Amino acid sequence: MNPKLKKLVTNFRVLLVLFVLILAIVAINPSFNSKGVAIRSVDFNSSASTAGIYNPSPGVSPRSREVVLSMNNEEINSLKDYNDFIQKLSINQTVNVKTSKASYILRTKPNVEIKMLNETESKVISEVISEDINGTIVNRTVTKTLKVPKTIEIVNGAEDLGLTVYPAPQTNIKKGLDLQGGTRVLLQPEQQISKDDMELVISSMKERLNVFGLSDIIVRSAGDLSGNQFILVEIAGANEDEVKELLARQGKFEANIGNDTVFFGGKKDITYVCRTADCSGIDPRGGCNNQGSAWYCRFRFAISLSPEAAERQAQLTQNLDLITQNNEQYLSKPLVLYLDDKEVDQLNIGAELKGRATTDIQISGSGVGKTQEEAITDSLTNMKRLQTILITGSLPVKLNIVSTDSVSPELGEEFLRNSLFIGILSLLGVCVLVFLRYRKWFVAIPMIITSLIELVVIIGVASAIGWNLDISSVAGIIIAIGTGVNDQIIIADETLKGAVESYDWKRKIKNAFFIIFGAFFTNFVAMVPLLFAGAGLLKGFAITTIIGLTFGVLITRPAYARVMETLLKE
Amino acid sequence: MGMDKVNDDIVIDVPEASGQGNEPVSASNDRSGSKSFKRKLIDFYDKKYKLLLIIPIILLVLSLLQIGYQYSTTGDIMIKGVSLKGGVSIRIPLQEQVNLKQIEDALKEQFPKNDIAIRSFEKSGEFAGITIDADIDGTNNELFESFIGVVKKNITEDIGDNYVVNIIGSSFGASFLREAFIIFIISFLCMAIVVFIYFRKFAPSIAVILAAFSDIVGTLAVANLLGVKLSSGGIAAFIMLIGYSVDTDILLSTRVLMRKEGTVMDRILSSIETGMMMTLTALVAVIIALIFSQSEALSQIMLIVMIGLLFDIVNTWIQNVGILRLYLERKQRRKTDESEA
Repeated sequence: MNPKLKKLVTNFRVLLVLFVLILAIVAINPSFNSKGVAIRSVDFNSSASTAGIYNPSPGVSPRSREVVLSMNNEEINSLKDYNDFIQKLSINQTVNVKTSKASYILRTKPNVEIKMLNETESKVISEVISEDINGTIVNRTVTKTLKVPKTIEIVNGAEDLGLTVYPAPQTNIKKGLDLQGGTRVLLQPEQQISKDDMELVISSMKERLNVFGLSDIIVRSAGDLSGNQFILVEIAGANEDEVKELLARQGKFEANIGNDTVFFGGKKDITYVCRTADCSGIDPRGGCNNQGSAWYCRFRFAISLSPEAAERQAQLTQNLDLITQNNEQYLSKPLVLYLDDKEVDQLNIGAELKGRATTDIQISGSGVGKTQEEAITDSLTNMKRLQTILITGSLPVKLNIVSTDSVSPELGEEFLRNSLFIGILSLLGVCVLVFLRYRKWFVAIPMIITSLIELVVIIGVASAIGWNLDISSVAGIIIAIGTGVNDQIIIADETLKGAVESYDWKRKIKNAFFIIFGAFFTNFVAMVPLLFAGAGLLKGFAITTIIGLTFGVLITRPAYARVMETLLKE
Repeated sequence: MGMDKVNDDIVIDVPEASGQGNEPVSASNDRSGSKSFKRKLIDFYDKKYKLLLIIPIILLVLSLLQIGYQYSTTGDIMIKGVSLKGGVSIRIPLQEQVNLKQIEDALKEQFPKNDIAIRSFEKSGEFAGITIDADIDGTNNELFESFIGVVKKNITEDIGDNYVVNIIGSSFGASFLREAFIIFIISFLCMAIVVFIYFRKFAPSIAVILAAFSDIVGTLAVANLLGVKLSSGGIAAFIMLIGYSVDTDILLSTRVLMRKEGTVMDRILSSIETGMMMTLTALVAVIIALIFSQSEALSQIMLIVMIGLLFDIVNTWIQNVGILRLYLERKQRRKTDESEA
C-alpha cells in the first residue's frame, strides 16, 4: 500500500471523520428499494382499526413506520397499487394485510347511506333512566313509541378500509412541511398562561388531533424574546380548513338548562361518546331537508353522563313545567348546547325525564350545504368535531390563530427536488472554481469530498434528533457548507505557501486554525440568538447552520488539514 | 492556541516597505501580457490606499442616506413583505402566461384599500406561475374566498385548490420584526465582542466591525432600491451576513497583524488571493441558487447574501485594508518618534 495513503487511513482525525460519517449514514438509514406504502393514519372505527392496526405514534422515525407490504398476497409498491387494490374491494370481503410489523385480517364494511322516504313509521325507543328513590339510585327502562319518517338503507359498495397511506420513506430524513406538504398553524393564547397550562394545552391539542384521526402531527410550544407564547402545530398532509376550525376552538362545551349548566365537555362529566354507526350519524328522525336554496342535515350521537352530571340534570328538571307540542309532552325549558359560548343546538327534553337522573342522552346538531350531499358531509364533519371536543374537553385558554401556511404535497415535492438540484449544481460550480484555482487534484478532491461528508453529517444529525428539514434548514446547510469551503481554502492556502517559505507544519496549521476559529466564533455567536427568536420559525435555519459549523470546525477541518499535510509533505 | 503567545510574535512591518512591495511574491506568476497592467494596478492599490478609502466612505454615506430617505418617506427603514406586515401570500403554479395587469386591476377594483402586488415566478427561465401578496385578513374565510374568487375569474386555467396560501396576522408580523431587530442587535454585539477578544486592539477590531456594519447597511440600501419586499427569511439573511462578512476581515487582520513573513503589502496581497477565492466560491453557489431556486424564501436569502458579498469585497479589501494600514503607519511613526527621542 502507498505509504501516504496508509498514513492517511490510519490517522486518528481521518478515522474520526469516517466514524462520524458512518454514524450519520446509520442515522439516515437509507434504503434504495423501499417497498410498500407507509401508514400515516388509521380512521377511528374503520375496518383497519377493528382489525388492530393502530395510528402510528408521532415520535416514530420515518423508516420505523409500519409499512403495508402486500394485500391478499398482491404486492403493494406504490400509492397506485394501493388505490387500485382498494377500488376492487366489495362488501364483507376479507382482506389479508401484511405489514412490516404483522399480518392483519380486515373485513370490509358496507358503506350505508340512509335515505328518507315520504312516509312515517312508528318506532319503539327504550331509554334507561336512573331514578333516585329515597336515596338509592334505581335504573328503570322506559319505552315509548314515536312516529318517525320512514328510512331505507342504501348500500353504496364497500366502505374505505380507513387507512391513509403514503409512499414508504426511503430514509430517516424528516421533511418539513414546505418540503412534504401539509398545514402549519401558529396559535397564540389569548392571555399569558403558566408552564403547566401550556403543557396541558399541548397535550389536549395532541389528543384532540389524534381523536380527530390525525397522527402525523407536531405540536410544540414556542416563544419569542418579548415573552409572547405561541403554539406551533404542524400537520402533514391534512385538510387545512377542518383542522383550522378544530385548533382555534377552545372547545368549551356546556349543556345548559336556563342559566344552569348540566354538564361540560370532557372526561369528568362525559364518560362515553358513541362514534359507531349504530348510535351516531345523520339523524334518521330529523334527516335532511331542503329549505330554499340550501340543504340542512341533522346529526345525532349518544353520550353517557357521569352519575354526578345525571344527578344535576335531575335536580334542574325537577321544577320545570310540562308543555305540549306536536302531540308530545316536553319540559318547559330546553337543554341548550353551547360551544365556546355560541349556541349549537336546542334539545327538547321529554316529559318522562323530569326529575330523573338519566346517564344516556343524545346530542344533536346540524350541517348545511348547497346539495344534500354537501349538507351530509358538512354535518358529519361538524359531528366529528363536536365528538372530538366532547371527548377531549376544553382547553384552559382561548387560542387565536396568528398565521397559517399550507403547501400541497406536489409543490412540496417540487421544492425538495429543486433544493437537491440547487445543492448539486452549487457544489459542482464550487468544484470547477477550486480546480481552476489550484489545478492540483490533491487540493480539490479532498475539498469536495469533505463538503459532501459535511452535507451527509448535517442531515444525519438532523435525522438523529428528529429535526424536520424545511426550506430555511436548506439555506442553513448551504451556508454551513459554504463556510466549510471557505475554511478549506484558508487551510489550502496556508499549507501551500510552504513551498515558498519554510516554517514548520504545526505553525502553518496553527495559523490557518487561528483564522478559522475566529470566523467560527463570530458565525456561531451570531446564529445562537436566532434559536430563541420569532416563535421558532427560523430555528431550522439556525440549527442546521450551527450543526454544520461546529462539526466542521471540530472534526472535518482538522482532518482536511492532516490530509493536506500528509499529501504535501515530502 | 495561546493567544498571548501569538500577540507576542507580532512584528510590525514598515509601511514604507511599499518600495519593497514593488515585487510582491504573488505578482511574480503573472502571465507576461497583463504583467505591466497588473503591476500598475497593484502599485496604485499600494500607494493610493488613502484615496481609495473614499469609495467605501461614499458608499456608506449614500447607503445611510438611502435608508434615511426610506425612513422619512415610509416610516420604515425597509420595505416590508407580507410576512412582516401581515396579510396573505398566495402562490399559484400555472402552465400558461397570464395577464398580470388584468388580475391586479380586477383585485384593486374589488379591494381598493389594500396593498396588492402580483408577480410571476420562473422555473429555469420559464414562466411557472404567479404570486399574489396582499395585506388582507387571511383568517377571515369569507373575505379570502372572495379574494381568491376574483383571481380565479381572471385566470383561464382551472387552478382548483392547487395553490399555497400563507397567512400572517399583522400583530405577528410586527412582533416578529421587533424580535428580529433585537436579535440582530444581540448578534451584532456578540460578534463585536468576539472580534475584540480575538484581536485585543481597538482600531483593527473596529475596522472588522465597521466592515460588517458597512456590508449590512449597504445591502439594506440596495435591497430597498431594488424594491425587495423583505420576508422573515430575508431578515434571517441579514443576521447571517453578520457572521459571513467578518470571515474575510478576520483572515486579513490576522495575516497583516500577526504574521511576520514578507512585507505588509505581501501579506495583504496573499490575503486577497485567499479571501477573493472564498468570496468567489460563495458567490458561485449563491448565484446558482438564485437562478434555479423556486422558493421565494430561498431566493431572497440568496439575493441578500449576494449583495452582501459584493459589498464585502469593497469593505474588506479597500476599507479594512485602508484602516489597517493607517493604523500601522501611525504605530510605526510613534515608534520612530520614541526611538528618536
